[in-house]
Amino acid sequence: MSFAHASEAELARLFDFYRIPWQYEPRSFPIAWNQAGRPVEFFTPDFYLPGYDLYIEVTVAKPIHNTRKNRKLRLLRSYHPYVNVKLFTRRDIGRIFSRSLMRAS
Amino acid sequence: MIGETLFDSDSIARRVTEIGGAISNDYAGKLPLLVGMLAAAAPFLSDLVRAVTIPCQLDVISVTSYGDGDGIAFEKDVAIPVQGRHVILVDDTVDTGLTLQFVVKTLLERDPASLAVCALLDRPHRRIADIEIAYRGFSVPDVFVVGYGLDYLGRYRELPALHVHGSWPA
Repeated sequence: MSFAHASEAELARLFDFYRIPWQYEPRSFPIAWNQAGRPVEFFTPDFYLPGYDLYIEVTVAKPIHNTRKNRKLRLLRSYHPYVNVKLFTRRDIGRIFSRSLMRAS
Repeated sequence: MIGETLFDSDSIARRVTEIGGAISNDYAGKLPLLVGMLAAAAPFLSDLVRAVTIPCQLDVISVTSYGDGDGIAFEKDVAIPVQGRHVILVDDTVDTGLTLQFVVKTLLERDPASLAVCALLDRPHRRIADIEIAYRGFSVPDVFVVGYGLDYLGRYRELPALHVHGSWPA
């Protein structure tokens, strides 16, 4: 399995540690259409956790550079309100790992 | 670096007394088994069991942390069998909920009469597993908390209050 970013690979290892089934980019959701009704833009969340029916999008960009991703998330939630998706920022990922590493410390 | 005090020792004591009272009402006549998750929940568990005013039993567990091995597992299991018992799982902090969910699932497979979660701190910002918290001490924002059993690289567990730490471990 090849990931777009090391943070995604690390998150996959964390899911494996907890024995949580996951899928990597299993589905793309249309978020914009042309006048003919054909989708012209898609959003593909990084992970799907079938046990939780939850999509997780990982972003490692600094918050100031998250505008484009936040726009896509807004559109996804607007056009696909039944889709449960969470955005994990670089800070979130770091904090999840620091907590997980320290649990038994 | 220790930052502001989130909850002082008096506030914690009041909340623990309230939770102990609620547990005492809910479990009257049921001899609940309080199972604490080491090591961070130890002070909370110790105070809570003394705030419970009905007969109860006490046990502890610990689980491996990420990086310790191939997968999450019990490092220390309960000594008291949970089958048929009313179990209250006592944890320090619910964050993603993944560790707690593993423990809940494992204990439920042993067929307890009931299982409820009691957490000192609830930090729902990054919740993945939908854990039902029956008894919640405090909800906290997205800050790293130390004191009252919670550590930063092994330090500050002995502090009587809950404080914000100035940074998260790298």
